[in-house]
Amino acid sequence: MELAKNLQKTLNKSYGKTDLYVDLAESITGIILVGFLWMHMLFVGTIYINNGALFNALSEGLDKYYLAQIGIPATVLVILLHIFMAGRRAPMRLRDLRIAWRLSKMINHYDTWVWVGQVITALLIGIFASMHLWTIMTTWPIEAVKSAHRVAEPGVAFWGGFSIPYYLIFYAIFLLVGEYHAGFGLYRILVKWGWFERHKMGWVLKGITVIIICIGVGALYMFTQVAKMYPHAGGAL
Amino acid sequence: MARQLTFSIFRYNPNKPGDKPRMQEYSFEEFEGLTMFVALNKIREEMDPTLMFDFVCRAAICGSCAMMINGRPRLACKTMTINLPSRITVMPLPVFKLIGDLSVDTGTWFRNLQVKTESWIHTNKKFDPNALEVRMENKIAEQIYEPERCVECGCCVATCVTANIREDFIGATGINRVSRFMMDPRDERSDAEYYEVVGNEDGAFGCVGLMACADLCPMEIPLQTQLAYARRKMAAAGLKLQFAGVKIS
Ligand code: HEM
Ligand code: SF4
Ligand code: SF4
Ligand code: FES
Repeated sequence: MELAKNLQKTLNKSYGKTDLYVDLAESITGIILVGFLWMHMLFVGTIYINNGALFNALSEGLDKYYLAQIGIPATVLVILLHIFMAGRRAPMRLRDLRIAWRLSKMINHYDTWVWVGQVITALLIGIFASMHLWTIMTTWPIEAVKSAHRVAEPGVAFWGGFSIPYYLIFYAIFLLVGEYHAGFGLYRILVKWGWFERHKMGWVLKGITVIIICIGVGALYMFTQVAKMYPHAGGAL
Repeated sequence: MARQLTFSIFRYNPNKPGDKPRMQEYSFEEFEGLTMFVALNKIREEMDPTLMFDFVCRAAICGSCAMMINGRPRLACKTMTINLPSRITVMPLPVFKLIGDLSVDTGTWFRNLQVKTESWIHTNKKFDPNALEVRMENKIAEQIYEPERCVECGCCVATCVTANIREDFIGATGINRVSRFMMDPRDERSDAEYYEVVGNEDGAFGCVGLMACADLCPMEIPLQTQLAYARRKMAAAGLKLQFAGVKIS
C-alpha cells in the first residue's frame, strides 16, 4: 500500500489523536454528568422517606466518609472539562450564531431545534449550577430541615401580601433545564455512537426524563411539607 | 377545482453587474402530476427565460436539481406540488457557491471531497482484462449498495448546521462515502490509513449528531447508521495507533 500511503500523506494534514480524544472526552464527561444528575435526583428523592430522616443520614454519611468532600470537587472538575469539550461544538462567532439560528428556523427540523435548546440550556446550567453550589457550600452541612426552609422560603413580599418564592422557582427551572440538557444529551451520544433505532430510543429517554422530573417536582413538594412540620429553621428531626 | 400556485423564487445573478438579491413571484394553476421540476421549466419556458436552475435526469438520479423548497432541501424532480401548500418558497442550497438564482456549484465541492477522501478502490492487484471478475459475497454487495446510492445532491450538507459553519467538514455524504470503502474488501487501505482521512474533526468526529441529514436525504440513505459506523471504527483504529510525533520547538 505504499502508493496509497504516500498519496494520503501529501493530500492530508496528519491530525494525530487530539480530535479523537476530545470527541471521546465530550461524550464520556456527558455520560458521567448524566449519571451524576440521575443519582443526585435519587438522593434528593430520599426526602420522601421518614420526613427526611434518610435524607439526613445520607448527607451525614457522605460527609463522614469524605465522599462529599471528594465528590463535589470531582464533579465540578468534570463539569469544567465538559464545558471545554462540549462547548466547542456550539456556534461561537457571531457569524456562526447567525447562520445556525437562520438555518434552524429555515429547515424547522426537530432534532436541530432540540440541539439549539441544548446550547441554550447549557448556558443556563452554567449560571444556575454556580448559584446552587454557592448556596450549598455557604450553608454546609446539608440538612433536611434547612433545605426544606430554603425551598419553602416565602420570598420577597410585594404590596398586597403577594410574594415570589424565589428559591422554589429557581429549583423548578433548574430541574427542567438540567433534565432537558441531560436527557437529550444522552440521546445524542447514543445517536452518534450507537446501533439503536433513534426514534424508539428517543421515546425511552423522554420517558426516563419525565419520571425524573416527576420525582424532582414531588421532592420540592415534600420539602415544603417538611418545612411546615418543623416551623423553626434549626429544628432537629 | 385546481389550486392556484404561487412560487416565490430567489433571484440573483452574481455575474450581472448591479444585480441585487430579491424574491420574485410567479403564479399558475396546478395540474395533475406536477412536480417542482416541471413547474420551474414551465416558468422558464412561458414566463421568464432568465430563470436559472439545474437539472439533468428528472428522475432522482443525477442529483443536480437539489434546492431549498419551503425551507427544506429537496430534489425538485422528486417533489410533487400536491404535497406542498399553495404558496411555495424556493431558495438555492446554502454552503455551495451560487452560480445564479437556484443554481449552485455542487460539482467543485464534491470534486474536492473526492480528492480529499480518495474515493476510489486502492489496490495493488494488477488488473487482468482477460480474467473472470472476482465474485463478491451478496451480503457485502448489499451492504455497500446502501451508501453507494448517494447521488451527490448536497441536501445533507446544506441542511447540516456543522457543515454550514465549518467549511472543512466533509458532511454526511463524505463520511458515508468513506464508510462505503471501509466495507469494500477490494480496497486494501488499512484502518490507520482511513484514520488519516476521516479520523478528525473535519470527518467522523466533526458530526454533532443532529440528524437533519438522515431525515432529509432524498435517497433515504440510512446516514445515522453510516455516521455511527465510521465514528466507532475510527475511534477503535485511533486508539490503537502509534504516532511517531514531531516535537516542534
Ligand atoms: C455549565 C454547564 C454546561 C455547559 C456549558 C454545557 C454545554 C454543552 C453543550 C454546548 C453541549 C452540546 C455539545 C454538542 O452538541 O456536541 C452539551 C452536550 C451535552 N451535555 Fe452539557 N453542558 C453543561 C452541563 C452539563 C451537565 C450538568 C450535564 C449532565 C447532566 C451535561 C450533559 C451533556 C451531555 C450528555 C451532552 C451530549 C454530549 C455529546 O453529544 O457528546 N451537560 N453540553
Ligand atoms: S447522502 Fe443523501 S442527501 Fe447527501 S448527497 Fe448523498 S443523496 Fe444527497
Ligand atoms: S448528523 Fe452530523 S452530518 Fe448529519 S446534519 Fe448533523 S452534524 Fe451534520
Ligand atoms: S434532475 Fe436529476 S436528480 Fe433531479
